[in-house]
Amino acid sequence: MLEPPMSLVGRMAELRLKTLSVIAWLALMVGAVVFTAAGVGRTNLESLDWFLPVIFWAVVITTISFITVPAPSGSRLSLGIAAAVAAAILMDDQMALGAAICLALAATGLIERNFFLSMKRTDGDFLTDALGMAAYSFVYLATYDSVVEADVIDLTWSVVAAVLAAGLVWFVVRALVAAFVGLERSDLAGRYLWLLALEDWAVVISIFAAGTLLGLTWPVMGVWAVAVAVLPYTFGHLAFERYHSTKVTYGQTIRALAQIPEVAGLAPAGHSTRTADLAVAIAQEMGLHPNEVVELEYAALMHDVGRITLNEPAIVKAGFTDEDIARWGAQIIAEAPYLQNVSTLVAQQHRPYRSPGIEVDPDIPIASKIIKVASAYDQARTELALSPIESLERIHQGSAYEFDPQVGSSLRRVLVFRGEITF
Amino acid sequence: MRTLDVHAVSRSGWFIEPKTLNGLPGRVFAVAFVFFEWNAVEVNDKLFASPSIMVMMTAAVAFGPRSAVLGTTTMAALALFTTQDVKERRWFQPAVNFGQLVIYSAISTTVLSLLLVQIGDAGEEWEVSTTMVGLVALASGLSAVVYGIVNLGLVTFIVGRVYGGKNMNKWSHMAQLVVPYVGMGFLGGLLGAALLLVGPASLPLIAIVFFTGYMAFESYAGLREAQLSTLAGFIKALEAKDLYTRGHTERVAYFSNMIGLHLGFNGTRLEKLRWAALIHDVGKLAVPREVIRKKARLTENEYEEMQGHVHHVEILLSEVEFLKPMVEIAANHHAHVDGNGYHGSAGEGVAPSLEARILAVADSFDAMTSTRSYRVALSQEYAFAELRRFAGTQFDPEVVEAFVEVLSASKEEYGSPIEITEDEARRRAEHGFAQPSGIPRDWSDEQRGRREQSDVGTSDEPGGSHG
Repeated sequence: MLEPPMSLVGRMAELRLKTLSVIAWLALMVGAVVFTAAGVGRTNLESLDWFLPVIFWAVVITTISFITVPAPSGSRLSLGIAAAVAAAILMDDQMALGAAICLALAATGLIERNFFLSMKRTDGDFLTDALGMAAYSFVYLATYDSVVEADVIDLTWSVVAAVLAAGLVWFVVRALVAAFVGLERSDLAGRYLWLLALEDWAVVISIFAAGTLLGLTWPVMGVWAVAVAVLPYTFGHLAFERYHSTKVTYGQTIRALAQIPEVAGLAPAGHSTRTADLAVAIAQEMGLHPNEVVELEYAALMHDVGRITLNEPAIVKAGFTDEDIARWGAQIIAEAPYLQNVSTLVAQQHRPYRSPGIEVDPDIPIASKIIKVASAYDQARTELALSPIESLERIHQGSAYEFDPQVGSSLRRVLVFRGEITF
Repeated sequence: MRTLDVHAVSRSGWFIEPKTLNGLPGRVFAVAFVFFEWNAVEVNDKLFASPSIMVMMTAAVAFGPRSAVLGTTTMAALALFTTQDVKERRWFQPAVNFGQLVIYSAISTTVLSLLLVQIGDAGEEWEVSTTMVGLVALASGLSAVVYGIVNLGLVTFIVGRVYGGKNMNKWSHMAQLVVPYVGMGFLGGLLGAALLLVGPASLPLIAIVFFTGYMAFESYAGLREAQLSTLAGFIKALEAKDLYTRGHTERVAYFSNMIGLHLGFNGTRLEKLRWAALIHDVGKLAVPREVIRKKARLTENEYEEMQGHVHHVEILLSEVEFLKPMVEIAANHHAHVDGNGYHGSAGEGVAPSLEARILAVADSFDAMTSTRSYRVALSQEYAFAELRRFAGTQFDPEVVEAFVEVLSASKEEYGSPIEITEDEARRRAEHGFAQPSGIPRDWSDEQRGRREQSDVGTSDEPGGSHG
């Protein structure tokens, strides 16, 4: 995802997140101390036996946390939670479990901040992981105890049931925290991030099943348990990696094809890329569904591809309209069997929000309206060389007539967040 | 830690039969077997993972070979008949496949059973214990190899009988096959042991991990397919806007594929060559139409611009990670073997790869045998003679000979049916015979109408002849 230039508003949001994650980190350290005190006090051991599993699992969870898997949402999920799932199954002492998880999370946060800056794990990611894992362990222990007490299913199934319940809670907490981070960053709609987090369900299920498998097989199979849990998971992990890299190259392919008119000098250079970046920002701010945002990005990248037709001198002499460009572009895109929706979006990009004298609003996809606004704004900025505020003014002048007013206000908020305008 | 029951399994003769794990799990396994048998996933270009062998080994360890064979073969009987077969009333092939499957399932599970009896030498009761897990997995891996060998042997035998033993070098791929079979069998054995030791609760967990992985591979394959078809469809659509080059890309890809096959290219390499052919002229889409369609000789500037299309390919597609090797080939398709010609960004003096040399021959041949704005199509014989004339300087002689040989053998005929010299072809073009054969299909009627009303002469419109 593109890193937008930060305005004061953006920097304030970042600062608030940083403060929150520092508070969370301190809370983890306090938690580790409290759990250790409670655990040692309760067992009144004289040897170091109590500490060994705590340190072992803290190290394991921390190490595995640095293995990440690309999820469909675009974020990388840490496998630390799989190790935590296994630890929760295998550790008998609840206080020891609490101490191990607190230590592991604190260590992960510290290492991420200082040694692995290139990992691009943000404060938001740290908060998400910390709250998620804490919620998981609480719910797991509570559910497991009550299921065992109810004594309706055997121990193994009780473990599965507790993982299921706690995993569900983890998933929801993670999505909620993601949405909260969105509220903090005023240019990303909470709804968008919540839906984005829900996209990851398949990866999440896979990680949890692998962790549970490790926890259940370890006592009876020893080291072979690692193979049982790791080998099948690796199959999926590879697939997720490949899916992700193909998705990236798919985007690259579309970006490349969209540039043909620009390389040919038939469209202004860089216009399609800038339009797409702005359109995606507007869509995220408005809280569109992530899948819609992807289609919108492709459509915005290729919205001028119809201009390749202008290579034909006869066409240029005969004259053409925006509608022609839209139609030609849609015709070209429609040749790709998987881009039918994108083709529809491109075909409608020129349509005005409301035509004069017509009462009923036309049924135009929101994505097409966003492309119209983003493209017009970029044209005003580059071809007419207007300032951001003047360009925005032009969009406002055409509001509720040429442009959708909601998209116009969203554009304003994006520009404020990026610091290009100040109100 | 909580203790878990060890599920005991009893012995009966050679076969090991489970005590507790019958019924539902067996059916679940059979369904899984069918599913995988039906939907093998392409892990990479060479390896097709058929996890059905793994499922079978898991079942054989957990339930004993009798139920494993019974379950798998019953369901395999259904799995082998695809809807396509039923529709077309093909019974023979599926029946043969089914028979084979029964044979090698039975053989490999019997081997496994013998090995397991050796491992768990405990009289009447056969139990899996933690110490045995590694051996069980190993035995299972070995049995899977037996499965693979029997499978390959049978297929070779049958195909040899039916098709007279042509092209049967399947055994040479044995080494490639052994590794996945050992891996799948080993994993299958491990999972079977896990199922026995942990109990049925591990079954849904294993299934979930595999199923999500499977789904991810499927969506990966789908996305890859989408990517390739997007590129292909797009190039086709853009090319269709110019009547002179229409179909050029497809024909060049066809010729390249022909030559590649003749020179013994295998799957991945051939696919790469086809892709290079498909993108080799993308840059031309960005060259102004007047230049491409000019009848007179090109000026120096125009010539530069025309050559620039090779460079454009690199500008446009070098950002696309998976196309990198193909872009390199495509960028060199105007490079001559003697070091002249237009090289890509790799620069002068770098010898073009075999793929690029193939592409050069295919491209030049199609250019000669199709009508261009400046001359009508030349004959196939003339094009062959030209290719041979420049073999050694512009073209690779081996590639030229391979192409002439394979195209002559195919009995396909391209270009003008009558002998015609290049000068004559150019003269005819000047007299207006260079009309492309295609009909423009994607200007809408409305657009065509508008053009007719305007004062545009039909001479620079390729589609003018039919409007």
